[in-house]
Formats: sequence, C-alpha cells, structure tokens
Amino acid sequence: MEFRDNKAIYLQIAEYVCEHILLGKWKAEEKVPSVREMAVELEVNPNTVMRTYELLQNKNIINNKRGIGFFIDENAIENVKSFRKVQFMDDELPVLFRNIYLLNIGFDELKSKYETFVKVNFNA
Amino acid sequence: MLLKRQWLDFGKIYFGVLIVLVGIIIAIYSYFIPTPKSGHFFDYDGNLDMRFRYGLFMLLGFFFISIIASGYYNNLGQKSRAILELMTPASTFEKFLAGIFYTAIVSVFSYLLVFYIVDAGFVKYLNSNLPAFSSTLNKKTSIKDVDGIFYEVINDANYLRYSRYFFVFPFLFTSIFLLGSVYFNRFHYIKTAMAVMIFTGIAGYIIYKIGYLLTQDMVSISIVSKEDSVLQSTFIVTLIITIIMWLITFIRLKEKEV
Amino acid sequence: MIKIAYTLVYYLTNTVDMIQINNLNFGYNKHSPLFKNMSMQLSAGHIYGLLGKNGAGKSSLLKNLAGLVYAQSGTLNVLGFDPKKRQPALLEQICFIPEEFYLPAVKIDSYIKANAPFYKNFDHDYFNDLIKEFDIPVGQKLINMSYGQKKKVIIAFGLATQAKLVIMDEPTNGLDIPSKAQFRKIMASALTEDRCIIISTHQVRDLDNLIDTVIMLDENDIALKASVEEITEKLTFKKVKEIDASIIYAEPSLSGFNAVMPNFHQEDSKLDMELLFNAILAEKNKFKPYFN
Repeated sequence: MEFRDNKAIYLQIAEYVCEHILLGKWKAEEKVPSVREMAVELEVNPNTVMRTYELLQNKNIINNKRGIGFFIDENAIENVKSFRKVQFMDDELPVLFRNIYLLNIGFDELKSKYETFVKVNFNA
Repeated sequence: MLLKRQWLDFGKIYFGVLIVLVGIIIAIYSYFIPTPKSGHFFDYDGNLDMRFRYGLFMLLGFFFISIIASGYYNNLGQKSRAILELMTPASTFEKFLAGIFYTAIVSVFSYLLVFYIVDAGFVKYLNSNLPAFSSTLNKKTSIKDVDGIFYEVINDANYLRYSRYFFVFPFLFTSIFLLGSVYFNRFHYIKTAMAVMIFTGIAGYIIYKIGYLLTQDMVSISIVSKEDSVLQSTFIVTLIITIIMWLITFIRLKEKEV
Repeated sequence: MIKIAYTLVYYLTNTVDMIQINNLNFGYNKHSPLFKNMSMQLSAGHIYGLLGKNGAGKSSLLKNLAGLVYAQSGTLNVLGFDPKKRQPALLEQICFIPEEFYLPAVKIDSYIKANAPFYKNFDHDYFNDLIKEFDIPVGQKLINMSYGQKKKVIIAFGLATQAKLVIMDEPTNGLDIPSKAQFRKIMASALTEDRCIIISTHQVRDLDNLIDTVIMLDENDIALKASVEEITEKLTFKKVKEIDASIIYAEPSLSGFNAVMPNFHQEDSKLDMELLFNAILAEKNKFKPYFN
C-alpha cells in the first residue's frame, strides 16, 4: 500500500480496511489481521494501527472479541458507507463546492455529467 | 562464559603472537645451539654450555607477556569495538578478571610451556648427538647429558632461592602493560614503554636524591650481608606495585567512556 | 513469518516510565556543554524518533542512556538502574545498535554461541526467523559480509536478546531499499507493550510511519517531545498556494508551498516530519506555546 501525503496515516489505513470490506475481500464476521500483522504488512507503528482499529470500532465497522481479535461487523458494509459519506460530506464536498462556485458550473450541467459517468462506469 | 567470548576476539592475536614466539625461540636455539664444528662448549664438569638460554628466556618472556597484555584491551581503543565490549552484560569486575586471567595467568603459563617444549626438544636432540661432541673434547672428563632449562633451575638450590623472589616480576610487567592498554587508545605498547621509562627515570632520580640527602651525613655500611632482606623487599615491592596496577586498571575500566 | 503474539493492552500498560532523565548536564569538555539541565521521561510501548542536526547530541544522548559515557551532573534512571554502574542486569535488557560497529571474524553460529549465553532471554528461533527475514546467508563469515548485512546481523541479534530497551543509532544507514522495507517490517513487529524503542535518525523519510513520538534535540536541550497524534492535533501540514498570516512556517514546493499552521479546523493531516524538523529549527519560539 502506498501512503499519500495529505492525510493522516491512521485514516489512510482506515480507508484501506474499508476498501477491502466494500470490495468484498473481507466479509462480515471474518477476522481482520491483528494489529501486529497489519503494522508489519504496512510497515507502520502498531500504535497507529491500534488507533485505526479504535476508530473503526467506534464506527461499528469492526468489533473486538476479547482475547481473540478484531472481526468485521455484520453491518460493516452499511457502516462503512455511512462513515465514508460523512467523510465525503465533510472533507471532499467543500473542495468540490468551492470549485463549482469559482468556475460557475450550473447544477443541470453537473447532473447530466453525473448521469453519463454512472452509465459509463457502472452500467446502471 | 566471558572467557569464551573474549577468546573469540583475543584468541587470534594470542595465537599469532604465540606462533611468532615459537618461531623466534626455535630460530635462536638453532643459531646458538652448540654444534660439534663450532668448537669448545664445555665447562669443567663436562656440561655443554647452554647459558644463552637464560638471557633468551628472560628477554623473550618479557616481550611476549608484555605484548599479550598490551593487546588485550586493544579493542577498547576502537570506538565500535569498545561499545560491544562495554555493552556485554557482565560486571566490570568479571571483565577485569577475564583480563587478568588471559594476560597474567594464560600468557605466563603458556610461555613457560612453550619454552619448555622447545627446550626439551633441543635437549633431546643434543643428547642423542652427544657422541659427536666427544671428538672435540680434549679433557678426560666424561660428557654429561644436557638438562632442560627448568630442570636446571629447579634442581639448583641457588637458582631457586634467587628466582623465587623474582616470581612476581612477570605479573608486574603484565599488569603495567594491561593498564597501558586500557589507558591509551592507540599505540599502547610504545606509549606504555615510554611511560614506564619516564616514570622509572623520574622515580629513580627522586629516590637517588632523597637517599643522597638522607644519607649525606652518614657513613655507608655495606648491605651485602642483608642480601636476603633486599630480595625479600624486592619481592614485596613488586607484589604491591602489581596489585596497585591491577587496581588502577580496574578503576580505569570502570570509568572507560566511548 | 514473524511470530505473532499480540495482546490487546497496548494503550493500557504503557504508562510506566522506563527511562527518566533529570537535569542532565553533559559535554565532552567543560566549556562546550552538549546538554544543559535536560529532563525527559520515556515509556514502554513506543517507538521514539530522535531527531536533531549533526552535532546536536543524538548519539551522545543514546550513549548516556546506555552508560557508555558519564554525565557531569543530573540523574538517569533506566529500568530502575543507573546505567553508569553498568550492571549486568541492566546491560542484558539493553539492545544498543551503534552506527559504527564491529563483529569478529567468525561465522554467525559461533558468534551466537559466544554471545547469546549472556542474555538469559535470548530467543534462538526468533533470531533464525529474523536472519531468514533479512536474507542473510548463514554459513558466511561475518567479516566477509557487507556493511548492510553485518548491520542486519547485529540488529537481529539485538532484537533476539528480548531486551526491553532497544536503542538504535542511524539504523537505516547502509541498508539498501529492500532492506529498509524489511527493517520497517521487523521494527513494526518488534514493538511490544513492554518494550521501548529509540531510534535516532536524520533520514526521516525512511522511518516516519514507524515513529510514534518525536524527540527533537536543539540548542543543548529538547526542542520538542510529542506524539504524532499530539502534533497533528495541534498543527496541520498542507500544501498551500500562497502564504498567509496563519502559516507558521512554509517551504516552497512544486505547486506552491508546504506549510505548517495551527490546526484550526480539527483536520487530520499527515505529519511531515522533515517539514516539522526544519520548521522547529527555524521558528523554535513560535512552536513553544503549542507543546509543553
């Protein structure tokens, strides 16, 4: 995994875990790698991974079975989505809005662009 | 345990010097050894003249033990090796004892052993060739077997009496050079030798001066009759200096910084 | 694969101070002190990154902790011992990896045979795992190895002693790129809740995701000691187009500036250690109010 420059490492690891869940690589009730395994794989401090897991636990994406380790929550996918949605609304949307405002882009134009995008990429 | 670990490092130097030592002893023996061709080598009792052995024994002994002692804490002079040395989980006292063991005990006894073996070899060789000497012998006394050097010393009450008092000397030398190797970071040997020379020079001068001042108004009495007590005090003084040297070495080792 | 023995109590147990430094005064000669009245506490369960300019005293601080040099005054407490006394009980709990080191001209196993008995917790299996992980040829004599390989051997040995305090002076110096990755993996697995790891480095980029607490030395004292979490809570690191008054320190970059500024909006930015390092060297006083 390559880390980007602009975001805290523990959040990037959280995204990495969420990505795995959304893509179905890690399924509900499955065990996630231990803090140590994850730290070794990503070459980061275990305390950072611990911070990620605490965050994901708070968001009910993973849960901690005492003494055994961390497991994917049964509602993980929904919780990931709502977590990502909050993040998107808070972090990415303001930047987008700023550009929309500055470049004077109309909502109609955006809507048609969005629909084509969905059609091309997701065949919906 | 510590001895074994130290051996890993020190063993190489040690064997190197030991091999050189054996080489030198053999070379000098073969050079000085009496041969039938080289003429008269007998004393009145019909013994072969082997006196060169004593000088050789002492001179080589001095160099060997001092070089070994000087090389022991060699690694403390190099930053990288000293760190490894000091970080080894053993108390300073244990490290110090290992030093004493290798420099004082192992070096002195291995020297004695090596010298004994080489000497014994040559003695055996000479004895088997003794008949060849008889042609050069013009006296009627019979030729006696050559004895080993230590055999000679131990069986001669006079030798033994004197040498007993000088027993501590080798330890004194090793203690001085051991201290030198802890004290100086580089060129321990030369620096130690220089320091010893300067020190003995100054000490000798001071003692002479004091003695001169104290005895200015006195009549000199011969002390030859007190030979025994002089020897005894030599023994005690060397012993004390040796122990002091070891003590300073220990303290220096404790305070060694990298 | 490295042995996995993970316990859940990372954050709970590391409140005990492993190292206490009180009013340390140190210098190689009396006229130019290196540390003046330095005090600091370090605890287990962390990887501390020791940063500082050349000559700021990184190596000297590490040597003080290991008892290799003696301070003029002040007290040092490492695992309940005074390192100055060089007691075996402490020495076997310290793994000290110096920048320059020496290994005797023997094979790995005879080196281990001679040295491992000093450490009663020495883990031979773990050592072999590490050697394998580092791709070190076992039969080769230590003297014929490259600097990087030797360094890896000595790191593997040090970690296998199970020492509680791991001190490393510029550990990534001399390691090639794959070795650095191996090193990071190994260090990530080596951190346990009862272990304290201190790494001095000037190659911040090699280790910045590994370090959880930054210690910066400057002008005879500690200029900063703060966890990455604490730093990013108070400061934010980002790229900006132009400099405004809120920016504490900025460096020009390809697309504008890399800037450090107070974290007004609770942003979770990524700590740019190099930028922070330069920022603190340049604007020491401006950062003082943020960290105490």
